Amino acid sequence: MLEAVVFWSLSTVAVAAGIAVFVVDSMARATYALAVSFVAVGLALLLVELDYVGLVTVLMMVMEMAVMAVYMIMFMGMNPALMPMSMVHAHRTAIVAGVGSFVLLSAGALLVPWPERRSQPVPDATVALGDALMGSKMLVMMMVSPVMLATIIAGVTLASARTRYDRLGDDLDRRTPDDPQRGGVGR
Amino acid sequence: MAEVVVQVAPAWALLAALLTATVALGGAGLDGVLAARLGGRPARAGAATPITETARLLRQRRRTTLAADKPLWRIGVGGLGVVALLMVAVVPLGRWTLLDLPVGVVWFNAMDVMVWALVWLAGWGPNAVHSLVGGYRFLAQALAYELPLMFALTAPAVAAESLRLADVVAAQQGLWFVVWIPVAFGVYCLSVVGFSVWGPLAPAAAADIAGGVLSELSGPDRLLLLAGRYALLTAGAAFAVPMFLGGGAGPLLPGWAWVLIKTLLLVAALVAMRRRLPSLRPDRFVEVGWLVLLPAVLLQVLIVAVVAVMGG
Amino acid sequence: MGLRQWLVRRAVSGAHVLVVEAPGAWQVRVAAEQAVTRRGWRLAWSPADADVLLVCGHPGPQLTEVLDRVWDQLPGPRACVVALAVGEVGGALDQARSWLLDDPQQRDEAAQRPLSPAELEDTDGEGDADGDDHGDMDHGDMDMSGPGGIALAMGGDDRDGLAMDVLHLPLGPVLPHWPPGLVLHCALQGDVITEAQVEVLDSTDDPTDDPTAELTATQHAARRCDAAVDLLALAGWDALVVEARLMRDRLLAEDTDQAAALHRLRDRVTRSRTLRWSLRGLGRADSGGDTYDRLLDLLADEPTSGHSGRDYVETLPQLVTGLDLAAARLVVASLAPMRLRPAAVPSGGGHG
Repeated sequence: MLEAVVFWSLSTVAVAAGIAVFVVDSMARATYALAVSFVAVGLALLLVELDYVGLVTVLMMVMEMAVMAVYMIMFMGMNPALMPMSMVHAHRTAIVAGVGSFVLLSAGALLVPWPERRSQPVPDATVALGDALMGSKMLVMMMVSPVMLATIIAGVTLASARTRYDRLGDDLDRRTPDDPQRGGVGR
Repeated sequence: MAEVVVQVAPAWALLAALLTATVALGGAGLDGVLAARLGGRPARAGAATPITETARLLRQRRRTTLAADKPLWRIGVGGLGVVALLMVAVVPLGRWTLLDLPVGVVWFNAMDVMVWALVWLAGWGPNAVHSLVGGYRFLAQALAYELPLMFALTAPAVAAESLRLADVVAAQQGLWFVVWIPVAFGVYCLSVVGFSVWGPLAPAAAADIAGGVLSELSGPDRLLLLAGRYALLTAGAAFAVPMFLGGGAGPLLPGWAWVLIKTLLLVAALVAMRRRLPSLRPDRFVEVGWLVLLPAVLLQVLIVAVVAVMGG
Repeated sequence: MGLRQWLVRRAVSGAHVLVVEAPGAWQVRVAAEQAVTRRGWRLAWSPADADVLLVCGHPGPQLTEVLDRVWDQLPGPRACVVALAVGEVGGALDQARSWLLDDPQQRDEAAQRPLSPAELEDTDGEGDADGDDHGDMDHGDMDMSGPGGIALAMGGDDRDGLAMDVLHLPLGPVLPHWPPGLVLHCALQGDVITEAQVEVLDSTDDPTDDPTAELTATQHAARRCDAAVDLLALAGWDALVVEARLMRDRLLAEDTDQAAALHRLRDRVTRSRTLRWSLRGLGRADSGGDTYDRLLDLLADEPTSGHSGRDYVETLPQLVTGLDLAAARLVVASLAPMRLRPAAVPSGGGHG
């Protein structure tokens, strides 16, 4: 009973906050409405005993929204989040696509004949989930993560306006890099 | 080995809040005493600083700036205390705990990331330059200490082979983790100082930006933010006790008394750090975080993992 | 009633004072700081933090205008007092205390003040610009105004190759640890200063106007300790700030040997590797010195830097451009003594 109440209130919060992202006229409010929506979803995962996945979702989403604030200031052309501005582009297409996917997924969740549970749930749901998803390819999955990180860093480095040749000289032989403000370790 | 820990009713959260508030008040009093002694004034006057400041701020009017984003401002300012209480909820006080999560360590991590959002919101709210710059300086510094903190939290979990705090405490019955995982403990304490916007790691509220997030706050809002800092210090210190300092282990006294004593001692040490060091500005600290702290903590986790695999 | 009275008395026993120094009133400001700390009161960093606005010296017309706006920003309960000479400081603070204790009058005043700031209606005039306040200057042909009547910012190229909004910010005369009467008009992108221009409020523009002409050797050393206090406070080292203030007070009271005092401070500064790490390489001038060198030079027995007020106006903007706001504050604090023009032989071998 309590679980049902919690689940439905979290779902309402998630959907309402999601709608709020497009209704508010301020970028900061849109960002944090999105954060609230994700946090509600993460907390809902706790109900399915996926504690680790739920909490990590909450953690990552809040951190992402905080970092999005950095990009907000970097790339917005006008005073972000203060000027009442419309947060949407391609208004009608977006609404149709959004509502359509919601209806499709809800129909799937409610109408598909899911199999009945035949035994007790495993004591550690997270391990079981991980095993089912990744199974014998665990080593590959663990390698993917640092490779992705290295790719992101390499991409940012390549895209940066000041390359390492600007910083360290044409032969990369300068001892301290030529930065407008030097860093703490002198690299 | 699963330790028997009793999860108590939620109504006990009031006691937890009271204890946190008391320790935070003690920390604030200690800071006042240290400031008074440094200035050559009697210690008794300094110890009353938190009461005096509370009275002054309760009397002061609230203020607002032009085109401020009030809801976000209030959330940022008031949320720090709430997050501190949520952090304390997982800490076992002897045999009792409010939330016996199987992933207590990750809960704490999620809460300290909330502080990122809250301090930024507090800086964003007043639509003022120094506040906003304070919020962004906090984010820059947080990006530097957060990854080392995450790995520092992983080290005791790997050593105990569990993310549950009661198991981490149980794994320290032979030797406390602070003895053989010192690097992680050091990085953890530095990160607590960082997310509490305290001392040498307080770019969000420093003098060189006229107080930063505090520059436009007055009245009860200011009180909430200042109290929130002390509450976060307390929560961080309280969490270190089961993670690194053996939980309630100790002779003579019962477990809950030892937890309180260890928390108080660690809070005192962290509060005393404030005036001793110059500020570590984020534009210099970022490189230190990524190039010095992160490799050191990764090495520490490697050592811990090898020990765990060989011993287990 | 009893609780309210207790609250009021307790609140006033720890009041925060915003001390504003008019140019030329350095000794009054030092006396004010001493008086404030002796009473157990604290020095405020911004108007929002302050209960008392204490003006030291005689402010000129431009500074008075700024002070009016600062006074508006103090939340209640508040008191404003002026001290024109060192002897008046104690009386002024006592007067402020009695005004703060007068609860009914403070409540009446609070009832008359509006709770939210007035919106800007005039898009042709200047924005609400002040020392600690956010302000956008209107660009003449831009008639789009944003929330609160503040004009929107225009974009521009910045230091790192992004195109970010430009904010015009006057780093004003009322900031903690800031040279008195100085206004630095900056163009900020993010928190990086892309352009800067120096304005001195109520300046007499007399190149022979030397504020240090009347100081004895000991007073000059005290002045240098005071400048070190500003830089160390901005660098965040509170323990040494207290010690430097103590040395300054002792030097002014002729209570200690000048060389010994400076030597002690210099010793503690050089022994701190963290401070050196923090200040090294910041604001490197053409003459080769950076902020750390200037700090050591301040505390040296014989300071070597000697530039006139004019040079300061020219060198400061180019040193500050490209630095972020906090680093710029440190550079300004390290350069401020350059206005002092410490003579090779401080005038007046003896007293006065």
